[in-house]
Amino acid sequence: MRREGSPWQGLGTVLLKELADHFDSPRMLLLALLMVLAAAVPFYSAVDQLRTTTSEDPFLLLKLFNPGGQTLSVVAILGFVIPVMAIGLGFDAVNGEHNRRTLSRILAQPIYRDALLAGKFLAGIIILAVNLMCLWLLVAGFGVFFLGVPPSGDEFARALVFYFIAVAYAGAWLGMAMLFSVLFRSPATAALLALGVWLFMTLLWPMISPFIAALVSPPDVRYTLLGILDPQTAAWQQGLSRISPYLLFEEATRTILTPTTPSLGPVLDQIRALRGEVVGAALPLRESLAIAWPGAVSLIAGAIVLFVATYVVFQRQEVRA
Amino acid sequence: MRMNAIAMVVVFPALVMMSNVAAAAAETKPDVKGLYLLTDYPTVSVRPGTTSTISLRLQNYGLPPENFALSVDGAPAGWTATLLGGGQPVGAAMPATDQSVSLQLRLDVPADADAASKTLTVKAEGQGNSVSLPITVNLAKELPAKLTLTPQLPALRGTPKSSFDYTVSIKNDSGRNLTVSLAATAPRNFETSFTESYGTQELTSVPIDAGLSKDVKLKVRPPSSVDAGTFPIEMTATSGDTTAKTELSLEVVGQPRLTISGRDGRVSVLNAVAGEQTTVPLVIANDGTAAADNIELSGSGQSGWKIEFDKKTIDRIAPGQTTEVNALITPTDKALAGDYMTTVRASSRGETASTDFRVTVGTSTVWGMVGFGIIAVALLVMFGAVARFGRR
Repeated sequence: MRREGSPWQGLGTVLLKELADHFDSPRMLLLALLMVLAAAVPFYSAVDQLRTTTSEDPFLLLKLFNPGGQTLSVVAILGFVIPVMAIGLGFDAVNGEHNRRTLSRILAQPIYRDALLAGKFLAGIIILAVNLMCLWLLVAGFGVFFLGVPPSGDEFARALVFYFIAVAYAGAWLGMAMLFSVLFRSPATAALLALGVWLFMTLLWPMISPFIAALVSPPDVRYTLLGILDPQTAAWQQGLSRISPYLLFEEATRTILTPTTPSLGPVLDQIRALRGEVVGAALPLRESLAIAWPGAVSLIAGAIVLFVATYVVFQRQEVRA
Repeated sequence: MRMNAIAMVVVFPALVMMSNVAAAAAETKPDVKGLYLLTDYPTVSVRPGTTSTISLRLQNYGLPPENFALSVDGAPAGWTATLLGGGQPVGAAMPATDQSVSLQLRLDVPADADAASKTLTVKAEGQGNSVSLPITVNLAKELPAKLTLTPQLPALRGTPKSSFDYTVSIKNDSGRNLTVSLAATAPRNFETSFTESYGTQELTSVPIDAGLSKDVKLKVRPPSSVDAGTFPIEMTATSGDTTAKTELSLEVVGQPRLTISGRDGRVSVLNAVAGEQTTVPLVIANDGTAAADNIELSGSGQSGWKIEFDKKTIDRIAPGQTTEVNALITPTDKALAGDYMTTVRASSRGETASTDFRVTVGTSTVWGMVGFGIIAVALLVMFGAVARFGRR
């Protein structure tokens, strides 16, 4: 059966309606507050640390996001909180409509399923983007206010790149939450499963992946004796860790926000140190972007793949309740 | 082992034989017989007013032991001549066969003794034998010095901060090993100390063998507040009745001493702003004893800070005078709000003074406003989105 009319028909209506729902919901307010409060603590400690230990730094704004060292950074907190917010916005996107028995009513209107799903996804992304932009502006504004130093153009560009990577990261988690909301009729199941995946990816996977890497490719004894990682094992470890969006986000943002230590992963760093390369020198933005590009693209691709999976499952679903 | 044992057996008797021969040669008695009164130096020089001791020996060659009465003849009026044996006055001596008895003739010469030379006769009279020994005493007004001090560089010149090291060689001409105690007299508050010429250990006396000389170093440190001028230092070396002196001189030239402080003694700058120039008035004073010429001012701070002066060099500051200059401190554009240390230095031919200034960099009001502006934009984005897209 051929479809008539544009698949995008009704997209704007759905988008505006979803935005209105989200902006008025106490859920979004709570999630936004959670994000701001979670970021405030590491931000304050970063400002404190910079004021006491640094007299001058070419990358002050970036240091506010990621001061380096062992301290908890705004970026690390965001790596945890962004998925929670995305899951919170997306876990009941479709099954909620099912349960309220509004899905068939909506689809009775001249609105295709494509437009409905795309509208919901875009609305979630816009909400997340607005929240992150707010947070980003707050960090930059309070940073300038407390430290009294304006960011340079390079810093500003890097911070903007960080913002886009964060939005892509949020999109990936939103896609996962929506996939679960299509797969499971019960919003509670979808939410719990999405949170389970989140916990697994952010907390467990960083611990498990080195073990799996060592199992798949046992390190050569000669490297172990030298005290360095077997390049083969390290490559496996890095590859496996990139399954987790959290680790992808972490890797990409670290490359962008700390231009002075552009880490290429443990093995490449070791090789560079062995070759006598200075690992502490600042890279130009273009080079940092080239290093961070695969991670960022993977995040965007993950978001698209998850959305496509959601779309396929949703299109094949029986919507009459 | 066996070879060694054989060698021992062969060599040892030979060694014994040779030593026997040597002993026999030593014991052959000289072909001298009789009693002798001996002294090493029968003619001596003595300074009036002093006490001298002359060593004597009563030697018995091949005679049976006998009691010899001792006496001194020919001592002029006012002189005291005493024969000492074993440290106390003695009247007789009894040398055993082929033995000798040590005696000392102690002469107390009065200070007013006339300069002619005198001859004293020491006699030893026994039952059959009697010997006499004439000793000629020359009276000399000035004996050759027994200790001499020779400074290598007797006059030194320097600033109040420098240390003056005089190397002085002490020569012992007395014919005896002496322990020489050292002393130096210097003006009030001057510090003096003696050390070995290449040592750091301070000393008060040095032993010097007869006929040898030794170098000691006299270190004089003037008080830092000393005025310019020439100061005499007298160094004395004493050993028993001999004293040697030498005059040293120490010339202190005036020295400028600079101090830098803020006006009213303030060393803090309160309201610096990142990237903006702040003027700090400085007072440069010369508390020294000489004028400071050609004073160059410089400053240093954190990297990227600029510290300049409205007058880069000052031609001259007379002693006790002050001059005021302005330091222009510009923190770097990227300086965070907080406190920073900067150092301001003035140097004039080796004399330098430096003062640390505490500069408090505040947030520029412009960037504070910009920060507020960005925060306001953040809130506007949020509320604008809610207002635009929320349920109307």
